[in-house]
Amino acid sequence: MSFEPSRMSSEAPRAAANALDGYFSIKVADDVFGLPVTRVQTIFRIGPVTRAPGGPRDIVGLVNLRGKIVTAVSLRRRLGLKAEGDGPGSLAIGIEHAGEAFALLVDEIGDVLSLAPDTTVAPPPHIARGRAKFAAAYHRVAGTLMPLLNIDAVFDFTEDR
Amino acid sequence: MDEMLKEFLAESAEQIEAASAQIVAFERDPGDAGLIASIFRLVHTIKGTCGFLGLARLQRLTHAAENLIGALREGAEATPEVVSAILDAVDGVKALLAELEEKGVEGEGDDDDMVALLEARVAECRRAQEEAPLAGVRERASTSECAPEADMELEPEPAPAAAPAAPQSGAGAAPMGALAAARGAEPAQGKRAETIRINIKTLERIMQLVSELVLTRNQLMEITRHRSDEALKSPLQRLSAMTSDLQDAVMRARMQPVERVFANLPRMIRDLATDLNKKINLVTDGGGAELDRQLIELIRDPLTHLVRNCADHGLEPPDERVRLGKPAAGTVRVAASHEAGQITIEISDDGRGLDKARIKDKALKLGLASEQQFERMTDEEIYRFIFAPGFSTAEKVTNVSGRGVGMDVVRENIQAIGGSVALSSTPGRGTRFALKIPLTLAIAPALIVEAHGQRFALPQHSVVEAVGVTGGEHRIEFVQGAKILQLREAVLPIGSLAELLHLAPPEARAAEPEQLAVIMRVGAQSFGITVDAVTDVQEIVVKPMGGSLQHLAAFSGHTILGDGSVVLILDPNGLREALGLTPARETAASEAERARDGADKTRLIYFRAGSGVDKVLPLSNVARIETVSSEKIEHSNGMMLIQHQGRLMPIVAAAPDAMVKEGGNTVFVVSPDGEPFGLLVDRILDIVDEKLDVEIAGGAPGIVGAARIGDKVVELLDIAYFIDMLRGSGESGAPRKSRLLLVDDAAFFRDMLSATLSAAGFEVVKAETGAQAVSRVGHNPRFDAILVDVDLPDGAGFELARRLREAGARAPMIALAPFASREVVRAAQAAGMAAAVGKFQRNQLLDLIRACVADDGFRDGAAFASGVAA
Repeated sequence: MSFEPSRMSSEAPRAAANALDGYFSIKVADDVFGLPVTRVQTIFRIGPVTRAPGGPRDIVGLVNLRGKIVTAVSLRRRLGLKAEGDGPGSLAIGIEHAGEAFALLVDEIGDVLSLAPDTTVAPPPHIARGRAKFAAAYHRVAGTLMPLLNIDAVFDFTEDR
Repeated sequence: MDEMLKEFLAESAEQIEAASAQIVAFERDPGDAGLIASIFRLVHTIKGTCGFLGLARLQRLTHAAENLIGALREGAEATPEVVSAILDAVDGVKALLAELEEKGVEGEGDDDDMVALLEARVAECRRAQEEAPLAGVRERASTSECAPEADMELEPEPAPAAAPAAPQSGAGAAPMGALAAARGAEPAQGKRAETIRINIKTLERIMQLVSELVLTRNQLMEITRHRSDEALKSPLQRLSAMTSDLQDAVMRARMQPVERVFANLPRMIRDLATDLNKKINLVTDGGGAELDRQLIELIRDPLTHLVRNCADHGLEPPDERVRLGKPAAGTVRVAASHEAGQITIEISDDGRGLDKARIKDKALKLGLASEQQFERMTDEEIYRFIFAPGFSTAEKVTNVSGRGVGMDVVRENIQAIGGSVALSSTPGRGTRFALKIPLTLAIAPALIVEAHGQRFALPQHSVVEAVGVTGGEHRIEFVQGAKILQLREAVLPIGSLAELLHLAPPEARAAEPEQLAVIMRVGAQSFGITVDAVTDVQEIVVKPMGGSLQHLAAFSGHTILGDGSVVLILDPNGLREALGLTPARETAASEAERARDGADKTRLIYFRAGSGVDKVLPLSNVARIETVSSEKIEHSNGMMLIQHQGRLMPIVAAAPDAMVKEGGNTVFVVSPDGEPFGLLVDRILDIVDEKLDVEIAGGAPGIVGAARIGDKVVELLDIAYFIDMLRGSGESGAPRKSRLLLVDDAAFFRDMLSATLSAAGFEVVKAETGAQAVSRVGHNPRFDAILVDVDLPDGAGFELARRLREAGARAPMIALAPFASREVVRAAQAAGMAAAVGKFQRNQLLDLIRACVADDGFRDGAAFASGVAA
């Protein structure tokens, strides 16, 4: 019953057919996303932020995480939501992606959920492209639909340059 | 790709490289049976492994090559045809290996032509041997006629072209991804067991961890400076020393001998000699000098280019040389040497020298300078035009060099890594280039600048100076919508850092004018960047940007400062682009200015305090410059105090009539031994790099004396006076003052240090020269510690250490250097001195002296301490 993050993100909809488990439910504004527990390295509150002038808009800046320089990304900004509370003290999830250390700034981190493969649903077709790319799959959880966060898309800024 | 194949490829790459250098050496000296045996062994090893791994094409080719080499071993003559055939075969093997590395399997095709050629040469050799069994031996003793590299008897130095093959230097090319310690191209030798191959990523990871350790150490030291916890101090001191040692050791592991770059030169020179129809001797020297592996790769191209240039443009054709009474064979010399934290690589030839008239013509034609300007220029300045873009005086365009690209690129590449290129030339005698390269890129001194409330690190190697631009003589002007700064006749493009980085819209900036312009030089271009303040100078550990921000041209990386904050490192090249500048022609004037920018300059803060002449203070004496609001300044017991980093810090006026102004006040934070105090000044005028000569000793308290900067008279502030004033002598509680001897020829340092030391409770006896020091010791040898400047006019400090011992001095000695580089530390250690420390590293100096005074066993080699700043 092992979970392979790489498959999860690269072959997004099909991965849901596998047996899956262990997702943090993370919250920004009114949106809740599932984030694989295996991808989370640490959860912390960020200190002072050094802005990176000229960088992608969604990158808040650089922060010092115990002597390591980490790129802080606002999930709110990423989703096109109103940017607020992404200064020092923000809740952050440490995630390593493509050799770079990131801090994903979120509003809340909730319980760990176990998701079974039979809860997947097909992606609703009318979700805007700008938002849809951040969802790897959709699950029905307690009667509501929860998207799983597509980590590759969240930390891919090639379109934002 | 399986492990065995990988191992084979790495090993073969180094063997092949070593083999080709050896074959060229062999052609030059065909009598050397040892060389041919070693070449045979190399090729044989590759062949054997190919057979084992089932690499048929490689095996066939190496087999044929081995046969030919075998024939040589049996006494056949090494004619140029034979050597060329072997070199071609080596190239063939290289190509096959490259394909194998790329695809993981041997490529399609066959090598029939090459194998046939090799076999034909073997047959020729056999025939020649049968016809004249003795001829081979006889001819091997003389030099072959058509070999371009002859005239060994005219070569005064031992042909170090063979150096890459010399086993004692552990020679040859270390493979990519191998530890420097793992070098040693001799295959299958007993030495193997002492070295291991290590993945370069592992090494980088260790380096990264050590860098972080250094930063953490710095933070820890910063915190404990403000506490007097003795129990903590000693282990921390040890931790600090060990961290430095660890860093040093890891840096060394990344080091590789310069030889790695030299290894392909013999082959290149041989090919050049053939192409150009010249006779060329290559002499390499000092290949053992070590450089960071990253730098080795970065200097390869510039070095190769310079060697080509010497061979092509520098050396005359053989007939011309003979007519001039020179040996027919020209010499290209490449020598590396190690000095003061830098590697100098000299590339020289004994050819015709640079043609001044032709350079002038060309420069005139390109409009780089006028006839009148030439008249005022020295030869050096004229020669430097060859570094201008698009400059080439070669009449004939050869396929070797002379395509008008190169020299400017060479210089830019070297400058980009913080190095420099110097050039000298004597008509008819030759040309000499000297590349100065830093040992490593990982740690660099940087200015910490502030713009719109954000701090950035600016690598010092591209900074020329900083000047004040609010009021005063330097003013930023707009010319047709572009900002310029007039600075000593030069007109420099200038931009605001905050605007270049879009930190704030231009209209918002108008209200807060920047105070300082930092003048930078990239390649041949000078330009300025205005910032709000230069807050500090720090050694930073350079870390590359992560992938998501790597595309930002304005930044080359990021780092964590001593206080734990993250700052971005500005890329001077990117800033130049942001200003809209493209590489341009160089002006002779700025080059000349650069040539005059010598050493022994001090970076000074030039400021106004009270009435009277302006004052200066070495920037190094100032830890920080802060703007303090007048409301924050409290008066207590006749003293001014402010809250600073959670504690009270005293402030004194830098001049008796310097007063607290309403609003913001400029305060220099001086932290002589971790106990900071503030120095109130009226305003900063400039930051300049000047040679500081105190001409008239000061009469007034708080002034060392008067000096001249440019055409202005300034007063040098006596920091020691202020320290003394604040601390008084009551703080030194020792019953008997420890007695120190301070030897330094510079009055500035002598006075400065003696004041600091006196303030810390020591009795200081000063000596200006080595001779004076010896006589002081002769007079009364009872010193507790002796501080010796390593750079005295009458003999090096290390030498003086010995003379002082002979004179009866028993005290531990501490070497003082402008900067305690590892070289200084090592030299001090070798001279039996107890420690080495940078002159400006007061805290470390004081700690060291206290350790020396407290602990007689300090001289023990194991406890050797240094003040190398990380």
